Amino acid sequence: MTVALPASSARRGLGIDLSKPVLIAFAVILFLLIAMPLSWLVLYAFSSKTGAFTLDNFHRLLTDAAYLDPLLTTFALAILTALICCIVAAPMGWLVARTDMPLRRTVRLLVTASFVTPPFLGAIAWELLAAPNSGLLNQLYRELTGAEQGGHLFNIYSFTGLVFVISCYTFPYVFVLVANALDRTPGDLEDASAILGGKAWDTARRVTIPLALPSIVAGALVAFLQAMTLFGSPAILAMPAGFHTMTTKIWSLFQFPPQPELAAAASLPLLILTIVLLRAEHMVLGRRGYSVVGGKNSEPRIVRLGRWRWVMLTAAMLVLMCPVFLPYFALLNASFSKVASHLVSINNFTLHNLHFVFYELSATKLALRNTFILGTLAATAGTVLALVIAYVHTRQAVRGYRLLGFLATAPVAIPGIVLGVGLFFTYTRPPFVLYGTLWILLIAFVTLSMPAAYQQLQSAFKAVHPELEDASRILGATRLRALWQITAPLLRTSVIATWCFIFVGVIRELSAAIMLFTSETKVLSVLIYDLNESGDLAAIAVLGLLMLVLTFGIVALANSLKFGGARRLSAP
Amino acid sequence: MASVELRNLTKRYGDVAVVDDISLTIEHGHLVCLLGPSGCGKTTTLRLIAGFVEPSKGEIRVGDKLVSSPAHSLPPEKRNMSMIFQSYALWPHMTVAENIVYGLKLRKMDRASIGKKLDAILATTRLAPLAQRYPGELSGGQQQRVALARALIVEPETLLLDEPLSNLDANLREEMRFEVRRLHDAYRYTTVYVTHDQSEAMTTADLIAVMNAGKIEQAGSPEDIYDRPRSEFVARFIGSSNVIKGKGIDAARIDFAGTPLRCVGEQIKSGASIPVSIRPHDIAISAAQRQGENVVSATVVRQVFLGGSRDYMVEAKDGTQLRILTAAGENIPQGSTVWLTLPPERCRALSG
Repeated sequence: MTVALPASSARRGLGIDLSKPVLIAFAVILFLLIAMPLSWLVLYAFSSKTGAFTLDNFHRLLTDAAYLDPLLTTFALAILTALICCIVAAPMGWLVARTDMPLRRTVRLLVTASFVTPPFLGAIAWELLAAPNSGLLNQLYRELTGAEQGGHLFNIYSFTGLVFVISCYTFPYVFVLVANALDRTPGDLEDASAILGGKAWDTARRVTIPLALPSIVAGALVAFLQAMTLFGSPAILAMPAGFHTMTTKIWSLFQFPPQPELAAAASLPLLILTIVLLRAEHMVLGRRGYSVVGGKNSEPRIVRLGRWRWVMLTAAMLVLMCPVFLPYFALLNASFSKVASHLVSINNFTLHNLHFVFYELSATKLALRNTFILGTLAATAGTVLALVIAYVHTRQAVRGYRLLGFLATAPVAIPGIVLGVGLFFTYTRPPFVLYGTLWILLIAFVTLSMPAAYQQLQSAFKAVHPELEDASRILGATRLRALWQITAPLLRTSVIATWCFIFVGVIRELSAAIMLFTSETKVLSVLIYDLNESGDLAAIAVLGLLMLVLTFGIVALANSLKFGGARRLSAP
Repeated sequence: MASVELRNLTKRYGDVAVVDDISLTIEHGHLVCLLGPSGCGKTTTLRLIAGFVEPSKGEIRVGDKLVSSPAHSLPPEKRNMSMIFQSYALWPHMTVAENIVYGLKLRKMDRASIGKKLDAILATTRLAPLAQRYPGELSGGQQQRVALARALIVEPETLLLDEPLSNLDANLREEMRFEVRRLHDAYRYTTVYVTHDQSEAMTTADLIAVMNAGKIEQAGSPEDIYDRPRSEFVARFIGSSNVIKGKGIDAARIDFAGTPLRCVGEQIKSGASIPVSIRPHDIAISAAQRQGENVVSATVVRQVFLGGSRDYMVEAKDGTQLRILTAAGENIPQGSTVWLTLPPERCRALSG
């Protein structure tokens, strides 16, 4: 009742109603971004080489072992990853949210670090650590046991290795969901059980765990999705071991001789499963996962671990060795070592790798330039697009605003590689021949970042009470002036944060970029992937560290803005 | 300053008429309360006056200027009004002083006059020590006063208040009621005040318009509305009332539980079922038998000692329950038969 259709009244004075063209323009943009690639994808999936309708592609997909095996591998991989993530992350989330374990904040921070680490970079780091011959850990093993040359403890080029590495960078999803759910569960609920005679274990079993269960299940679904749609890690670890997952198979179908129809058909199951799983996650979480219940919650109840405090901390740190300490160490080591697989020592230390990457490797400059151009453009375009849609949606400024909101959220269900395939089909043909230009990558990045950006800005808009704008207007400000003087300053921090997160997303994106790059449009992530193919681990390590520094720097900047601004802007 | 006039004002969303054919004249310098339960259309009426919402039918005039009609609606910024919002709508990124002078800056007033006016309003609203604070650092009552100051400093033709006290705690609300009235008496703006709290309306208003389901049920002075309700809705909404039903005997009497009851108020149709309201404190109760006009016998169902008074629930022969407030000393035990005297001038026959 408090929200009218304000646009029409403001425009009427000018004699032109601008709301319709605005809506149509943005709807068309979003439609082109999302619907076109998906339509081509479906069309190709049902086409033969000559373009006739056929179901052959699917038939081959389900009968030919070359395609069926990757499908089964992908399932096994996703299920195992989801299980491992839950087993590891749920207890860790509880430890951090509900116990007096020391260094809880540090543990959270380290989990965030593994969250932010690009998974393909982690996979490469684990190559450095656990390749059968040259891996640092295997060298250490031979040193300690005296095993002969070729003996090894770990082989990262294996299904087990792949599951392990993917789990390392997927468990944060479960961790964050569980820890947040436990943070928000009021301690009262547990106190109520205690006062009725429930012992610590009873309370945990009957109250705490059931309350956390939906977030664990949701976390498992997200982990499944991640493992299923990841391209980098399997490309780096599975292909040398001689097996494929769906994503690498789709990619290989674009290598010579290209079989785009089959690739399209192979992409569809990923797309459909993603949609189904996201629906499931939504049903499990309902609105629970995202809504904060009331502000009057008591402090969460802290379980005293007693002597176990340090044991638990050790366990948590051991877990964090895998995604953070060991890989980061391996990357640092490789950056400054003459031989990537040797430990840095006085006579082994070198700065040559840095020199090589920044002055000799011609691809670096190009990739960095492309990455920055794309990052800046995608972040700017994405933020503006998301901002307008979020405004239109929260203020219901034009009719049909719901459609815009839906379109902006839809890409969340499109895995990067599937979007890559769709965009490839769309923009290698007239009227839009964009393949080989940066534009096609820009479109991919903007599309992929849209859901998160839109959601972030929409909640920012929701936090700005419409009466704040009304108050300005009744005192004599025009609509535009109210937006400029009241709404814009209030949204500034969210807008900058959104921009930063899109930028970071662009830096780490590989799945879509790998389908769309050409030699002139390489970006940093693709360059790293390429160097891995050629075995230049030292250069990768340097570039990887550069990427990490950039990422952490920008994330830290965005966070400091958020917290700096939030204090003063806390609702009156 | 000018009067505000609503003529056949209607606002529909789809098929639902949120505001349904309202006509009301607000005299220059008067304070009118739109009073009603949530969802009765009072806030929409206020937003129609402010220009945030356009009418589907009817018009709004300020003075002799037409500001709202379905064909043309002046945007809010051109109406020279001020509004105090339910959420206060203080801009969190501006200090108290910046919030208050915002409207003056939009009016391009020079710095010296702005400073002078700011000092004056800060003194009136007792906000001077807080001028450099941010709204997030103020208490609810202080925020409320900032909102008042911000609205008043621009010297609007019309001041609109949307449930301005609903976010305050009880003590503060009572204090601010008188504050609103005091400021109104000081500045004499034509004011429209929306509230669902009848005691708020009673303290502040010159004229109360009771709204229900998008219509004005009754408009009048607080005394008028309280003493002479015309409908069952008004009788129940303003203060508590017993509403009893009886068959009309003639133009002035109904039959209630076998006793003829003389009433005032609306015309009574003989034979029709007529609702009649009477306030709990207007009924006299007696343990000794009484005789005469408008005396009804009943049984005490329960009674509670409230300190300053005593609260009875009695049941008449036909099963109708009545609430009665008496002096605290009037102690009649539960189960006793009592005689009630319902003064004819206090029994008001209502329309439907």
